[in-house]
Amino acid sequence: MKPILRISDLSTRFFTKSGQVNAVESLSMSIDDGEVFGIVGESGSGKSVTARSLIRLIESPGKITAGKIEYRNAEVADEIEDSNPEAVDGDYVDLAALPEDVVRSLRGPSFSMIFQDPESSFNPTLTVGEQIAEAVEVQRRASSNPRSVKSRTSSSAYSLRSYAYGTIMPNRSYVSSESKDRAVELLQQVGIPDPEERVDEYPHEYSGGMLQRAMIAQALAGEPDILVADEPTTALDVTIQAQVLNLLRDIQEETGMTILLITHNLGVIARMCDRVGVMYAGEIVERGTLSNIFDEAVHPYTKGLLGSIPDIGSAGGRLQPIEGNVPSLMDEEMGNRCYFADRCPKAMKTCLEKPADLSVDGAKEHEVQCVLAKEEYDESDALDPGQFEGEDS
Amino acid sequence: MISDRVKQSIRAELRRSLMAKIGIVLVVAIILVATFAPFLATQNPKEQNLSESNIPPVGFTESTEEIQFIDGERQTVTETVGGSLDHPLGTNQLGQDMFSRVVYGARTSLAVGVLGTLIAMLTGVTVGLIAGFYGGRVDDGLMRFADIMLAFPALVLAIALIGLLGPQTIDIPDPFVALGLVDGMPSSFTLPLTVTLVVALVNWVWFARVARGEALTVRERNYVKASRSLGASNPRLMIRHVLPNSLTPIIVLATIQVAVIILLESSLSFLGFSGTNLSWGFDISQGRDLLATSWWIATVPGLAIVLAVIGINLVGDWLRDALDPDIEGEGGGM
Repeated sequence: MKPILRISDLSTRFFTKSGQVNAVESLSMSIDDGEVFGIVGESGSGKSVTARSLIRLIESPGKITAGKIEYRNAEVADEIEDSNPEAVDGDYVDLAALPEDVVRSLRGPSFSMIFQDPESSFNPTLTVGEQIAEAVEVQRRASSNPRSVKSRTSSSAYSLRSYAYGTIMPNRSYVSSESKDRAVELLQQVGIPDPEERVDEYPHEYSGGMLQRAMIAQALAGEPDILVADEPTTALDVTIQAQVLNLLRDIQEETGMTILLITHNLGVIARMCDRVGVMYAGEIVERGTLSNIFDEAVHPYTKGLLGSIPDIGSAGGRLQPIEGNVPSLMDEEMGNRCYFADRCPKAMKTCLEKPADLSVDGAKEHEVQCVLAKEEYDESDALDPGQFEGEDS
Repeated sequence: MISDRVKQSIRAELRRSLMAKIGIVLVVAIILVATFAPFLATQNPKEQNLSESNIPPVGFTESTEEIQFIDGERQTVTETVGGSLDHPLGTNQLGQDMFSRVVYGARTSLAVGVLGTLIAMLTGVTVGLIAGFYGGRVDDGLMRFADIMLAFPALVLAIALIGLLGPQTIDIPDPFVALGLVDGMPSSFTLPLTVTLVVALVNWVWFARVARGEALTVRERNYVKASRSLGASNPRLMIRHVLPNSLTPIIVLATIQVAVIILLESSLSFLGFSGTNLSWGFDISQGRDLLATSWWIATVPGLAIVLAVIGINLVGDWLRDALDPDIEGEGGGM
């Protein structure tokens, strides 16, 4: 089966005053229809920027500087073939090459996103219901005439009157009663008790876990093909985390949508994902199925991550942290080498050159960006740990 | 938008603060006076009666000494005029009743103050929201233009603009007179249109700056990003999400700007640029030359301005304290 999303050589850079930051560097991956793909990595490894790049939500001074983000949707490809021939390749459309208004029309019905911090992801001046209904309206516009991109972006459904209502009398700002009914239905689907009453409440009247559910409801309103979940459980306590993950899993099984799950929590990955990509310094350093990563990890970074999880069986032993920090992603400090070499316990002289993607044991699924995939660690060839100290500023 | 919490905090602040109470009493009084001016005025404010000129307010007497030649001899005659209840606040040089003039002057001040603020707010908030929301070059362009506006002294800019536009006025029929409820009052109210527009043009910049500042912070909020990720368009984000969450300081600023604009309008009338002669500033200018002999002609409208501005500022402070204790006074000014 052809993957629903093909990303090739994606680079996202931030042009800040203090220099160029290569947050995502030549990243390639493909995500199959209906799978849960996890991206795991430390803070600052570029996970969230990758997620945002996918739906073109990178804001200035950031920019997608290279690469393709190809999304399989025959209908959309058909529609825009005439206006943007360079962005269409068979059934695929390249999101990186599309104009902003077309990408916007795909947000909601094709992609949607849930964020880390539910408390701040709702507008405090509107009720939860209105904000879900808003997303429903986007979907309604998209499906009213799927053949025409124009209809997806036209805002005729939103008259000045509804804007005015939204500002002055918030409870009247539903565009139609259907969208409110749908909001109630969605709240029910994500397990909010008494959705008919809860729909008219403001975000501050919800708890954190309920807001996360409401945000999932909002993301589901567009019936997206791909749901990008950026650390959906980080801000929640453990019992709520489990509920939210179960909910995501159930919805995924029910609707068959594809989920891209971004997290730093390997436990979440193990529970949810079919395939995993391990991200480090803007690159995917190892990818494979769940068992590839958890049982047959090759990259020392992946092993380090796995080693830093507390194990209930071996209580008492100290955890194994990975020494050091994620390197600065400033362009001039990066050079062309394995970025993990300075923290790697098995760094060798060959690591001063950039390793290629190698498949492990000929398995097509399991790829790793490390020389250890083809040769054994050789102590005589070890890299002097002081090698990089001069570079740390 | 106005949640129960906000209402509660506004009420609590009103209970706590004596100044807020004074402010709201003054503002409500001015609004009532301006609205029901035809009923309150004791005579037509424009009616001249030269035989009753320069009468002092009730409780005051004013003596004038005149040198007269009686039978060829030089004599000093002292004439004493006392205030009467017919003209509780005295009369001016033309014998017009000062009380009625102050009552009608409230209409001009309030109309220009409120209308001018609304126009300034509409323009300023639109510009500021766009600048803050889009950022970058749009922001630079719009805000540098606003800075240029700020670099001019407000009064000089206003006078230049009036010179450019000419003193246009609109006559609005007075509904109470039209319905025949009162007799002998002016049948229409003269709104100085040019002045209203000009005070708005001079003051929109303050709104632009505040709105831009708010938009800059609010557009970074997660709910704006979340909404964008669900396909919301830029205008939608601005109106539905950024504007409602930027309103608090804008409301506070608007209140205080009404006072600022009343002062500016009075200055312009004082200088003779207003286009109406029923205005507090105009009366002050009439009384300026007579301060030594008939002090009340300038003092009475002057006190009216002071009370109006103090009242509105107290209400502004009250709203600021109630809505957001974090905001420091940013009233803008002349």
